[in-house]
Amino acid sequence: MSHLAQLQADFQAYLIDDIKGVAFKNRIIDDIKVGVNKRLGIYYDAYRFRIIEALATAYPKLHSMLGDDLFESTARSYIDQYPSTYRNMRWVGDKMQTHLLKMLPQHPIAAELAVFEWTLSLAFDAEDAPILTLQDLAEVSPETWADLKFVFHPSVQLLPLEWNVLQIWHALNNEETPPGVAQNSEPYLIWRRDMNSHFRSLEATEYTAIQLAISGVNFGVICEKLQKNTTEEAATMQAAQYLSSWLNEGLITKI
Amino acid sequence: MLFMNLIDKSKHTLTKLKLPSLGFGLGLRTDHYLDILESKPNIDWFEVLSENYMVPGGKPLHFLDKICENYPVAMHGVSLSIGSASPIDKGYLRDLRQLADRVQPAWISDHLCWTGVHGQNIHDLLPLPYTEETAKHVAERVVQVQDYLGRRILLENVSSYASYVDSTMTEWEFISLISEKADCLLLLDVNNIYVSSYNHQFDAKAFIDGVPKNRIQQIHLAGHHNHGDYIIDTHDAPIINPVWDLYAYTLSRVGAVSTMIERDDHIPPLKELVQELQIARDIAGKILKAAA
Repeated sequence: MSHLAQLQADFQAYLIDDIKGVAFKNRIIDDIKVGVNKRLGIYYDAYRFRIIEALATAYPKLHSMLGDDLFESTARSYIDQYPSTYRNMRWVGDKMQTHLLKMLPQHPIAAELAVFEWTLSLAFDAEDAPILTLQDLAEVSPETWADLKFVFHPSVQLLPLEWNVLQIWHALNNEETPPGVAQNSEPYLIWRRDMNSHFRSLEATEYTAIQLAISGVNFGVICEKLQKNTTEEAATMQAAQYLSSWLNEGLITKI
Repeated sequence: MLFMNLIDKSKHTLTKLKLPSLGFGLGLRTDHYLDILESKPNIDWFEVLSENYMVPGGKPLHFLDKICENYPVAMHGVSLSIGSASPIDKGYLRDLRQLADRVQPAWISDHLCWTGVHGQNIHDLLPLPYTEETAKHVAERVVQVQDYLGRRILLENVSSYASYVDSTMTEWEFISLISEKADCLLLLDVNNIYVSSYNHQFDAKAFIDGVPKNRIQQIHLAGHHNHGDYIIDTHDAPIINPVWDLYAYTLSRVGAVSTMIERDDHIPPLKELVQELQIARDIAGKILKAAA
């Protein structure tokens, strides 16, 4: 290993663990004015503060829900557990759900709120793609509808949640006291429209339909699957309504 | 120089060294997107933080495109890690080039530092030891990056809080050595010179006198936080008078240079930064008039 490689490995080891990496202090010029401990302390603290700030930006509602102290200790243990491998700070928080499930197993709501916020952020800067409108569909001959397959916008994501994350998110967003934690099993649709992330809940039938559509099956098969508890006509009507709302909401990019 | 001939002349040595000055600019910040596009303020150009736009799509790239339609733009990165002992991250370079294809920047800059080794990123601008070995290592990597990007890059001096026992030269000697060997340009951060000169007790003017003035393409100005025995480079406050004085000194030595103000925290309304930028314009006007 070159001198430079050894120096940098030792510096990094010190920043990650200043007790184990204590020998690195000898590589820094000590002085009366500031002193080596304070000098290296600036880097040691900055490493953590910068990532804590990035995590607070990525998870603003989780931060509000946990409060400053618990959020900071959670973020500090996250940094120790998952040192960043990213060039872009944007991605440093991607393992927060896993971390929270381990750190706060008694509060599964925290991990769900984190995954909800992370999914919103993924929708926010997902790849751009053109949006189809109802007008585009009107140009397709009704006889060929059964064969239609749909390509969804890259920002579209389905997120099944087990807890009342949304009620808590809304309360925190309005700076109100959040309701108590309760189980509330519901799938959510998250996507970007007009450059902002949107979300809404999905009832069971629509969830089935959109899962099928996203998986690439054609409209005819979606209609068939919806026939389980109803007539063919009613199922087709229902599927057409879903398709119409997906187009209105800007979810579909290609047919 | 100990390592003459170690680095092949890169293609860019054939092109004219310095690019035309862009005038007086600001760092592009999300808080100001709408204000900029609506009010078209008196700002000559914008510097964008490359990593903020190395994302798949959405609002950041939408506004970046709009700004690029209306203003000259330079790209400024924080993650190149040009001084790292680990191999250059080719994925990062590819993304950087892709962004440059979109932005068509006047130039691309990053810091003379390292940000991590062994696949980890500390997300900080860590100082390098000022040695021949390090200068050679960095210069070789700058040549690789310049060849890949097809242009000279600008290297910026960082604020530092610690210096190595191993260093055998001054920071300005180190910068000069690298820039001459790699044939790159410099982004002189006048605030960083002030901060480091305070923290390490050297003469800031000696630094400015010591770097090759023909390579200074751009100047950064910013505020900082003085803790008494040391200064932290926080970019969260107005520029202080001693830094303005150092800026005036730099211009008196170098002549007209593209100048911009960096504000990364406690971001004030755009109007306030435009007013602060006017101070830079006034200083430059006075100094350059006197020089003429």
